[in-house]
Amino acid sequence: MQRFTLALAGLLALIPAPFAHANGATGTSATTHVPAALAVTRRLGAPPAGVTELKFADMFKLPVGPKGLEPTDRLRTLDGKRVRIVGYMVQQELPVAGSFMLSPLPASAGDEDESLADDLPASTIIVQLPNGPGTIVPDLHGLIRVTGVLHVGATEVARTERVAAARVTLDARTERALLRLAREAAARKKAR
Amino acid sequence: MHRSPLFRRPLAAVIGNALVGAALFGTALAGLASPASAATVSRLTPPSELFSSGQAAPVIARFLPGQLFDLQATVRPDAGQTVTNFSFYVDDQPVSQLGTPAGRARTSIVTETGDAALCIDADSGKTTGKSGCKLVAGLPGNAAVVSQRAYSKGAAGVHELKFIAQMSDGTRVSAIGNFEIIGVDKDAGKTAKNIIVFLGDGMGAAHRTAARIIAKGYAQGKAKGLLTMDTFPDTGMVMTASLNSIVTDSAPGMQNYVTGNKAANNQEGVFPDDTLDAFDNPRVEYLSEYLHTLQGKSLGVVTTADVFDATPASMAVHTSARGNGTGIVDQFLDDRDLTGLTVLMGGGRKWFLPNGGDSTSPQPANGSQRRSANDYVLPDDVVAGWGASRGALDPARDLIADFQGAGFAYAPDKSALDGLFAHGRPKQLLGLFAYSNMNVAYDKIAGRRGDGTVVDAFGFPDQPMLDEMTARALDVLSQNRNGFVALIEGASIDKQAHLMDSDRWPLEVVEFDRAIAVAKAFAEDHPDTLVIVTADHECSGAALIGASTATAASLAEHPDAGSSIVGTYDAAKFPKYVLADDGYPQSTNIDGKLLIGYGANADRYETWLPSAFPTKDTQQPFPPSQSPADPNVRNKDVGHFIAGQVPGDQAVHTATDIPLSAYGLGSHLFHGVFDNTDVFFKLGQAAVGGAD
Repeated sequence: MQRFTLALAGLLALIPAPFAHANGATGTSATTHVPAALAVTRRLGAPPAGVTELKFADMFKLPVGPKGLEPTDRLRTLDGKRVRIVGYMVQQELPVAGSFMLSPLPASAGDEDESLADDLPASTIIVQLPNGPGTIVPDLHGLIRVTGVLHVGATEVARTERVAAARVTLDARTERALLRLAREAAARKKAR
Repeated sequence: MHRSPLFRRPLAAVIGNALVGAALFGTALAGLASPASAATVSRLTPPSELFSSGQAAPVIARFLPGQLFDLQATVRPDAGQTVTNFSFYVDDQPVSQLGTPAGRARTSIVTETGDAALCIDADSGKTTGKSGCKLVAGLPGNAAVVSQRAYSKGAAGVHELKFIAQMSDGTRVSAIGNFEIIGVDKDAGKTAKNIIVFLGDGMGAAHRTAARIIAKGYAQGKAKGLLTMDTFPDTGMVMTASLNSIVTDSAPGMQNYVTGNKAANNQEGVFPDDTLDAFDNPRVEYLSEYLHTLQGKSLGVVTTADVFDATPASMAVHTSARGNGTGIVDQFLDDRDLTGLTVLMGGGRKWFLPNGGDSTSPQPANGSQRRSANDYVLPDDVVAGWGASRGALDPARDLIADFQGAGFAYAPDKSALDGLFAHGRPKQLLGLFAYSNMNVAYDKIAGRRGDGTVVDAFGFPDQPMLDEMTARALDVLSQNRNGFVALIEGASIDKQAHLMDSDRWPLEVVEFDRAIAVAKAFAEDHPDTLVIVTADHECSGAALIGASTATAASLAEHPDAGSSIVGTYDAAKFPKYVLADDGYPQSTNIDGKLLIGYGANADRYETWLPSAFPTKDTQQPFPPSQSPADPNVRNKDVGHFIAGQVPGDQAVHTATDIPLSAYGLGSHLFHGVFDNTDVFFKLGQAAVGGAD
C-alpha cells in the first residue's frame, strides 16, 4: 500500500496543521490571542540555555510493554529540571484556578457532562502558575509552548479529581504573560 | 465447571412442558377482595404491546423454553401510600415465592431512599434522578420498582403476565402484559455443536460490495471472484430496530441476536427500568448463558475493538450503560461460570490495569481507565436469582493477573500469541493487543509492509489480524467436546464508516472476510458447526456512487476536484485494484478508484484521497498528534466541502435492513426477511432442537 506517495506528502504539507505537533516538530496555526511568550508561530529553534525540549511522545516507553505504560528514562532524568514543551491547552468546561492542562492534541474536558470520561491522552500534563493560585487562565487556541520546571509523579488537580503523570511549574516570564492576560480578560468581563 | 442458576429446570423438562409447581405466593393477591386503587403501573417488564397499548400483538418479548428473564413493574402509589406487597402471575398462576426464604431472596422493592432533600423535588414531590439517588427523574416520590428475578417458562405459546401490587391502605393496582415462549422442534435433525457469529459492525450491503470490488475485481460485468461470505448458501435480510428506535446502536444491535429480545439503545442483556443503577436492570439470559447451562458450551469473544465495546459486551454482560467499562470487563471474568467464557481477545487493556488512585483523566501513569464510578456491585436479588458474582468497586484490581489466576493464558501482542501455541494449546485465552480499539487493517498491514508510522505512534506495532485471532480462538474453543458459541467482530467497519474514511473501512471488510474464511474451513472440518455472517446495523448510508475518472496523481494535484471527477454509470467502468501477497490491495490510491458517498453524512471535506493517519479515536490514550480530530476538519481548506445531512461530527447508523449469510448445519433456517430477534430462535433451534 503506497500510503505516502510524494503527491500525498505534498498535499499534507499544505494543510494548515491544526493537529501538527507533539513530536517536537512545529505548528503554524497560532492565534493572535496567544501572548508572545507562549506563541508558536513558526518552527521553533533550540530552547534557551538551561532548558531542555520535552516531547509528549518521549514521556512513555514505546512500544508499550505487556502491561501498563511506563515512564521513559528521559522523563525521569528531567525531573526537577527546566523544560520546554509544546502542546494544546485543554479547553475545560469548568476551568481550575491556578493551573491548566496541556495535551499533545486539541482536546476539551467536559467536567459537567462527561465527568472524567473524556479520554484525554495519558501524556497530558498539568501546568501550574506558582504565583497565581487564584488565576483563571483564559482559553488559548492553537499550539502553545510552556517553559518551566518539570515534576514527575502523580499530581492531582484539586476539585476535578484529575491526575496527571507530570506537571510543569511555569517560569516567571511565561507566568507573567498569562497573569496579564487573565487580568485583561477579567477587566473586559467587568466592563461588560 | 458451569453451574445452573437457581430454579432453572433441565432442558428436557422444560421443552414442551409448562413450568408448574412453583411455590405459591403465601398471600396470593389475585384472590384478595381489596378495593382498587387510583395508583398506576407505569412500566411492566418484559415489555409488551398489551401493556403499552392494549393490543395483544405484536408480542414483543419472546424466549426459548427455560430461558431466564426478570419480571419487574414500576408502581406509582396514591399520595401518602407505599407498596406493601406484590405478586406476578403467568396465566393466572402466581410466580412470586415470597413465602420461602429463597423466593424472597429473588425479589426486591426499590424506592427512593436517597437523601430526600437531594432526591425529591420539594415543589413537585417528584424524584429528581440526581447522582446518589435511587430512581430516575419524574416519578412520584413514593414510587416503587418491584422485581422478581430469574423467571423461566417452558410451555410454548403466548402467555399472559399479570401484576398486582397492594398499597399500605389496602387498595391494590394491577397491570397485564404478555410474552411468548418459542417452542423448539426436538426432532428436526442433528444439533449444531458449534455456533460462530460473525458480526461486521455497521456492515451493510454496500460495505460488502465495496470489499468484493476491491478484493476480487470485476470483468465485463461479472465478479472475478467472491468474498467468502458471498459463498455461503443461505442469505436473508435482517430488520435491525431496537426497542426504542428504528435506528439501533451497537448494544441492542448485537444483544438482540443473542437474547431474542429487543433492548433499548445503550443497553446490553437487560430491559429498561426506572432505577439509576446501571447493573440492576431486569435481565434476560444470553445465548451463551443458556447453552452453557444446558449443554456446557464455551464462549469465545473476539473483536478488533476494545473488548468493553458494545458488541463484545453484548455477548455476556448485563448492563444498561454500555460505557461502564470497568464493570463490563470485570463481569466478563466474574461470571465466566455462567457464560462459559474461555476466549477473550481484542483491545482494551486500559480497563485491566490497576488504578490505585481511582482517577482517570488524564490517566494514571500506567494508563489505567478503571474507576469506581463505572464499576458494578449487584443487588441481593440479582445475585440470588441468577447466581451471579456480586462484584465490587475495585479500581485497584489487577484484572490481567486475575484472569491469569483463573487459568487464562495472556498474550499482549501477536508474537506472544503465537508463542502460547508453540507447545500445545492453552485451555483459556486472554489477548489484549491495544489500549483501546486495535488499529485498523489499513494501518496494521502498512506496518507489516514496513511503514509502521501509525501502529508505532499508537504504541502497539505487533498486533494480530482478525483472521489470525480467529484461528487461535477456534483452536482453543474446539477443545470443549460440548461445543462453543463464538462471536468474531469486525468492529472498525463501523468505526471507520462513522468517520467516512473510504480507504480504511473497505479494508476492514476485507480483513473480516479473511477471518470468515478461517471459520468456513473450520466448519468444513467440523460439519456440526453453524456459521452466520451479519451486522448489527448499517452505518453511514454508504453508497458506491461510481469511480474516479482521474488518475491518482491528478487527484493529488486537485484535491478539491469534488464531483467533477466522479464517474457515474458507464464512466465508472471497473476499478482495478491489485492484491499483494498478504491478501490486501497494494494500494487503495489507484487510478480510477472506487468512490463512495454517504447518505447519513456529517459535514466533511472530500479529497477522494487516503488519509495518512486515521481520524482521531477518542478512546486511545496515545492518539497520534497527526490524526485529524474529526471528518469536519480533516482536509479542511483542501478538499471539496460536502454539507452533512445529520448533526454532529460523524456519519450515523441507519435503519436500513442488512444482509445475513449462513453456512453449515442449519443454514437453511436463515432465509427471507426477518427480525434481528428471530436470529436467536433460529440459533436456538439449531443448537437445541437441531436442523437437517
